Amino acid sequence: MSKESTQENKKLFGMLAEFANPAKLMKAAKLTNKAGYTKYDAYSPFPIHGMDDAMSLKESKLGWIVLSHGLVGFTGGLALQIWTNSIAYPINIGGRPFMNLPAYVPVTFELTVLLAAFGAVFGMFFLNNMPRHNNPLFNSKNFERATDDKFFICIEADDSNFSEEKTEAFLKEAGAVTIEKVYD
Amino acid sequence: MANIKLTDSLEFPDSASPMRLLISVGVVGVIASLVGVVVNTEQFLFSYLFSFSFFISIALASMFLVMVHHITRSSWGVTLRRIPETFSSYIWVFVLLFLPILFGMETLYSWTQEQYSWFYEGLREHKSPYLNTTFFIIRNVIYFSIWSYLGYSLYKYSIKMDETGDWGIDTTLRKISAPGIFFFAFTLAFASFDWIMSLNFDWFSTMFGVYFFAMSFQALFAILILMSLYLRRQGLLLNTITRSHIRDLGGWLFGFSVFYAYIAFSQFFLIYYANISEEILYYTARFEGNWEILAFIFLFGRFIIPFILLLPKKSKSNYKLLFAVSTLIVFSHLVEFYWLVMPPLHSSFSFHWLDLATFLAFAGIFMGMFFYFFKRQSMIPKNDPKLQESLSKH
Repeated sequence: MSKESTQENKKLFGMLAEFANPAKLMKAAKLTNKAGYTKYDAYSPFPIHGMDDAMSLKESKLGWIVLSHGLVGFTGGLALQIWTNSIAYPINIGGRPFMNLPAYVPVTFELTVLLAAFGAVFGMFFLNNMPRHNNPLFNSKNFERATDDKFFICIEADDSNFSEEKTEAFLKEAGAVTIEKVYD
Repeated sequence: MANIKLTDSLEFPDSASPMRLLISVGVVGVIASLVGVVVNTEQFLFSYLFSFSFFISIALASMFLVMVHHITRSSWGVTLRRIPETFSSYIWVFVLLFLPILFGMETLYSWTQEQYSWFYEGLREHKSPYLNTTFFIIRNVIYFSIWSYLGYSLYKYSIKMDETGDWGIDTTLRKISAPGIFFFAFTLAFASFDWIMSLNFDWFSTMFGVYFFAMSFQALFAILILMSLYLRRQGLLLNTITRSHIRDLGGWLFGFSVFYAYIAFSQFFLIYYANISEEILYYTARFEGNWEILAFIFLFGRFIIPFILLLPKKSKSNYKLLFAVSTLIVFSHLVEFYWLVMPPLHSSFSFHWLDLATFLAFAGIFMGMFFYFFKRQSMIPKNDPKLQESLSKH
């Protein structure tokens, strides 16, 4: 079976454009952002300072996931101890008050940290599209050099502004060296 | 990467110096304190110890930060380094400032007296090899000679590098800092035992030294933020101490707020939960007679409120918020020292005008010395090998 015929059945993932150097990549990222594309990403072998601003990336949502998990751990841990030790089955421990808040701090702290850490790890997995293990871009042979010496921008087909002809023309104008379609 | 040029003037201008204000504050404070010595010697000594602890804690924490900076070869804070360097350069002044405590130690520390009802029979014999007047004086001589040497030489060599541009001095500074940190850890811990913990000599906490350090180090970052914002406000070093440096200070402040809370709570919690009478008396004295209000002020003021406010990434580079949080933390640091030092004198909370007088006297002397030395040198170590890296930090 030839490669072309398998691609017929597959979904188009996006338009991958290669750029010659970081400066051109940065310029293209700015143009892509300006053109109104939202579902796109830039790939380079090393971090390029100013790229976040050029793409006008928003803050990651991970912080909020961690915070909410941490708060659940905090209230859960505190409520568990108050319920068990002070309400459901009050035990007199050396004459201390039944509602002994300082004594509840270590467990509350541990549960806050534990759930926040779970939130951070599993939230990161979730935001990285786990359980899927690979990015469709790796179907492109050329893209392997993104970790070596090439610079890419991929505009994804899910983007509302995406159309095969227009996006290809746009990327060409933005200075792409090669353009290819990547299938999922 | 292109070299980033220093675009700011490194001279601290006279117009930015609050010297006149500090001198008048200091003079008022010193005169009022002197009146206090005559009027109420005991109150004066306790107030003096409280103000002394507050200001020397800033100088000592500064010295630690400078040494950590050298041995880790940090580049992020090179542009900030002259501020803590200057704070710790004149620790020798505290030798003179310590004299009133030395002369008044029979009033301050009840272990110096023969007739004192010890908590249990035999405790005196047990503690007297350490807690006696001679050894107390010897120990303090050791502390102050180590600190004066470290603080002054770290400053002196850094100034020498400014003048000669000899990068070999960087190695010298590292060689001073590495053993310096070792000696600093011991002297700081034992000094805090001697000055503050021995006020209630039948009480002991092995982690009191760490507690003192955690308090001071947290407050230092608040002070550094306030100093950096002061310089910015005067239009100084705008492109040298950048937003990114202040954001890092905010990060440190946040981190060490948590560290402080962890240490302070660990000390409190073990004693609270064990509830052994010889240990718990220290805290019961500080949780009655309205002293507990102070404890809640610093619980919220230097942990809970700063923790919540500094949690978002954005707030660490928000100058107004950093200013407010830092002020709150410095104030809480003051409250906490008051809470540690005063209860042996007053069984219930009462504020005396001498507390303010000694504080003003110290503030005038400490900050006056700072601006005096800060003005004489360039505001950053201008020939430091890592300066370029620090300037291009983002």
